[in-house]
Amino acid sequence: MKILDIALKDMLQSFRSVFAVMLMFVEPIMITGLIYFAFGGLGGGGSDGLDLPMTRVVVANQDQADATSGISAGNEVTKILQSEELADFLEVTMAEDEAAARAAIDDRKADVAVIIPAEFSKAMTVSGARATITLYHDPTLTLGPGIVKAVIDGIMDGFSGYKITADITEKQLARQGQTMGPDTLRALAISYTQWAQNQNTTEGASADPTISLRGPSGSRTPDDSPLAGILGPVMAGMLIFFVFFGGAYTAQSIVKEDEIGTLARLSTTPTPSATILGGKLVSVFLMVLVQSIVLLISSALIFKIQWGEPAGVIAMTLSMLVAAAGFGILVASFIRNTRQGGVMLGGVMTLCGMVGGLFTAGFNTPSGTFDIISRFVPHGWALDGWKLAMSRASISEVLVPAAVLLGMGVLFFVIGTMLFRKRFA
Amino acid sequence: MRILDITLKDLSQIVRDWKISLFLVVMPFMFTLFFSATSAPAEADARLPVGVVNHDPDGVLSARLIETFEGSQAIRIVSLKEAEESQVDSLIEKETYAAIVIIPEGYSRQLLAGEDIRPEVIAISDRPAGHSAVTAIRGDIKRVLSAAKGAQLSAEVADSRQPFAGDAARQAYLEEGITLANAAWDNPPISTEMKAATRIDTERSQSTNPAAQSSPGMIVMFAVFGLITSATVLVAERKSQALQRMLTTPVHRWEIIAGHLLAMALVTFLQQAVLVGLGQFLLGVDYLSAPVGILLVMAALALWTASLGLLISALVKGEEQVIIWAMIAMFLFSALGGAWFPLEFAGKAFSTIGHLTPTAWAMDGFQNIVLRGGGNGSVLMPVGILMAYAAAFFGLAVWRFRFE
Amino acid sequence: MNNGKAIEVQDLHRHFGDIKAVQGVSFDVRQGEIFSLLGPNGAGKSTTISMLSCLLQPNAGDALVMGHSITRRPMEVKKAIGVVPQEIALYPDLTARENLAFWGKMYGLRGKTLGRRIDQVLEIIGLVEQQKRPAGKFSGGMKRRLNIGIALLHKPQVIIMDEPTVGIDPQSRRHILDNVKELNRQGMTVLYTTHYMEEAAELSDHIAIMDQGQIVASGTHDELVKIVGKQDRVELTINTESERVLPAWQAIDGVHKATATDSIITLLVDESDRVLPRLFEAAIEAKVHITSVTIQEPNLEAVFLHLTGRALRDG
Repeated sequence: MKILDIALKDMLQSFRSVFAVMLMFVEPIMITGLIYFAFGGLGGGGSDGLDLPMTRVVVANQDQADATSGISAGNEVTKILQSEELADFLEVTMAEDEAAARAAIDDRKADVAVIIPAEFSKAMTVSGARATITLYHDPTLTLGPGIVKAVIDGIMDGFSGYKITADITEKQLARQGQTMGPDTLRALAISYTQWAQNQNTTEGASADPTISLRGPSGSRTPDDSPLAGILGPVMAGMLIFFVFFGGAYTAQSIVKEDEIGTLARLSTTPTPSATILGGKLVSVFLMVLVQSIVLLISSALIFKIQWGEPAGVIAMTLSMLVAAAGFGILVASFIRNTRQGGVMLGGVMTLCGMVGGLFTAGFNTPSGTFDIISRFVPHGWALDGWKLAMSRASISEVLVPAAVLLGMGVLFFVIGTMLFRKRFA
Repeated sequence: MRILDITLKDLSQIVRDWKISLFLVVMPFMFTLFFSATSAPAEADARLPVGVVNHDPDGVLSARLIETFEGSQAIRIVSLKEAEESQVDSLIEKETYAAIVIIPEGYSRQLLAGEDIRPEVIAISDRPAGHSAVTAIRGDIKRVLSAAKGAQLSAEVADSRQPFAGDAARQAYLEEGITLANAAWDNPPISTEMKAATRIDTERSQSTNPAAQSSPGMIVMFAVFGLITSATVLVAERKSQALQRMLTTPVHRWEIIAGHLLAMALVTFLQQAVLVGLGQFLLGVDYLSAPVGILLVMAALALWTASLGLLISALVKGEEQVIIWAMIAMFLFSALGGAWFPLEFAGKAFSTIGHLTPTAWAMDGFQNIVLRGGGNGSVLMPVGILMAYAAAFFGLAVWRFRFE
Repeated sequence: MNNGKAIEVQDLHRHFGDIKAVQGVSFDVRQGEIFSLLGPNGAGKSTTISMLSCLLQPNAGDALVMGHSITRRPMEVKKAIGVVPQEIALYPDLTARENLAFWGKMYGLRGKTLGRRIDQVLEIIGLVEQQKRPAGKFSGGMKRRLNIGIALLHKPQVIIMDEPTVGIDPQSRRHILDNVKELNRQGMTVLYTTHYMEEAAELSDHIAIMDQGQIVASGTHDELVKIVGKQDRVELTINTESERVLPAWQAIDGVHKATATDSIITLLVDESDRVLPRLFEAAIEAKVHITSVTIQEPNLEAVFLHLTGRALRDG
């Protein structure tokens, strides 16, 4: 009974503390919201995919039209870049020459410079000739330039494909002792271009001619927005980070009570020390329980995050609670005073969160080594487990990280309790 | 002189707990390493893993497709084991592979016969890794299809001039065409090349060094985080009435405020100096190519964070609140200012707002030197704007400052 | 209970490393009395009290509180006592009522009994009006009163107060002292520590004077004062050298001890009201002008001075 009295008193205090409420309930939602906002949640377009950044492209077309055929491949490329389909994410301007285009980047007036070389048309018409299109990008950018490069690569592959087709036809005819002739070339150009256009226009549609693309079966419901695909792991990261933080913060109340003298006073009441410590442990556990439930539900409501099947969610929630409570008690047992506590907690928690991959969840596929390192902290296992739960893996798969978390939690708990008993006995 | 006395007193209080001070340097450094490592893994192969199942092992086109995949700079293919083939969906969900390609039986034969047959690709294409992998796979398949189409067109031309003697002759002609086309695709007539536009000579171009983004990012982020310690000192001083007592001494109010401001600025400046040093010598981020410019950015950032710290300590009541507000300021300014991820990754509204933050300008100042190679002069505008922000925050702090 | 003793302290010892905080302290507190431990800061009062409230284990010796040994039956002891710690041990973010409710539960009170006791205690400490305010927002005196109130909730047989009036305004102090007397009148035994001799003198039935970990004297106020005898101390300042009048004064009946520095003469006299006129007569005869007179009746301060050679206040 007294255990619960102490636990409830602690919780009441935590809810009175602006700091605790902000830390445990507001910040995780706020940060996920920030990311939601950052990746298009508010910028419209959130429903149909990522909000592509607008990239400012400056084109220096130095191409000299082929004297004989009058073909200017450089103009064609420019036209494609300026076409309406690309206007959603490319803002194209022209520059006199390469130097002017690069100056535009240095002056931050453009993000990518596309330099079409003088011999570009020649490479399109003369057998064996080559050309290279050079792209210069603002060194602080990667995403926008990557998109521009992909677009230009596509266009150039189209050109190359045509050129290669013409070349091999000519070569094979020559082996037969024949020549191509302008009519054949024209017919070839028309056939190939038609085919290539057909390839491009149907891309991404159900009749995609190159591949038949599908997502992993059964796991993702149709209304699952792509943003939720990123936000899920992000929110899982935030959930884990702040639940562990919350656990350690609540556990720190032992140190605080020692400072303000109420711990000593508790010892003058007919309350065994095991009950006092027990009450503290229960309060840590209850606090993170409330916190997890609030965060799980509110994130599901606000960001439409689907945490997974009930069995997996319950297994992960419980095991995470034990791990967070145990870890919190262990960390708090090292804290000498609350003044030091704020920075200590912030530091240790951030460090563990970082190692556990919580801050990069949703953005990077972790590399092999990192995957191993992340297993040294409970945070890494928790993230692993939540990802499995969200992907609706079978309960037996979720149980592996859950069991590890549980084991770690109990171990931390035992060590932390021993340290506290030694300190306050 | 009294200003300096106050500053020195603050500094000695801040560094008293040297472990915490150490923390403020060690933590950002670890973060820098960490973010550099995740944005470009230290392992030799940063390509995305893609699983491949080939049910058309003898086909010309499928063999070529595998060959093209193998030469890819974006993906790294792995042949799936038989046991894995039954669980492709969960392999994708668990992100073991960014994508899995299944080449169907008879792919080459049917494709050359003009039938509609496509490899099955399983991927979560709305996740960044999945999207990149699918784009790369599609590009590679298109080249193979283009080679096949070219050979077909070539065969049609030959057929129209002089019909093939039989199916065998047509097949031989077609296969010769494919071989020629593939050879041509190995070195296509039109290629593209991407370079970082930097005034740093390309040999040493920093754009490939992931630390060039994360190192300044973490410096900026932890400059704000460091306020937890320095602003706490000031709040504790008000709580213990020492600040009020100071007013009974013949010291001007502005001297007191300036003294505290200077202490906070110095702490941040020192923290930055250590991190810049570590970045330069351990991570190879070339800060010192424009030493004066870097010093200016550091000083301006230190002054801005110090006035932010002053503002925080002017507004809050207790030490705990300092932690909340410092953390909120850190998250807000570093996310919005592009210290976590480049702003271009974010949506338009976000990056537009982001570019207004002082942290974005601090990032600009650093990157103008380490990435763009702009030299000392390139920091003048960012530094000027940072200083303007510092002045504005300082004004707000002085206006709201309470001594008791 | 056992021969009417609430607390029996038997040869307690406690050291912290090399520092011997308490060395061989023994005293008895009778049921229903107020017993004060008087001594300067660092005398060992708090250490003694900590051992009696089972916060510290003695290195040697034992004590019985309401017949229960502090070393063998600490839980029984804790049930019998209410402790008012020297520091204000409250939860600042909980209201006065919530604080009382929590601590009441720690003493095993529940439900209606608890609610009734909280009301009574709030009445005693005069915080009925402010019961819904967070304790952190209270003035120093109010916090002190709440600090005491917590120890009264379970109607302890013995209440142990460790310097409960440190650093508060005279009004709150008055309130607290009156509370203590009232509680005592209702039958509570009070063990009180202080370094204010006026408090000890006003409150106590018995006083033990502590210094450097030991009890240097104990008894009722009057018994203690008798140590320095009935002599008053008279200090006179004259307008010339002391030799002019000192021999005449020393000859007066009832003057015992005389010391002189320049123009200030200190005398120990039997009954100052009888001796004083004769001192003045002698001065007039010697044509010496007395510029000031100070008379001090014997008190605990003087006793402490007498026993330790040091003043109470500067410890």
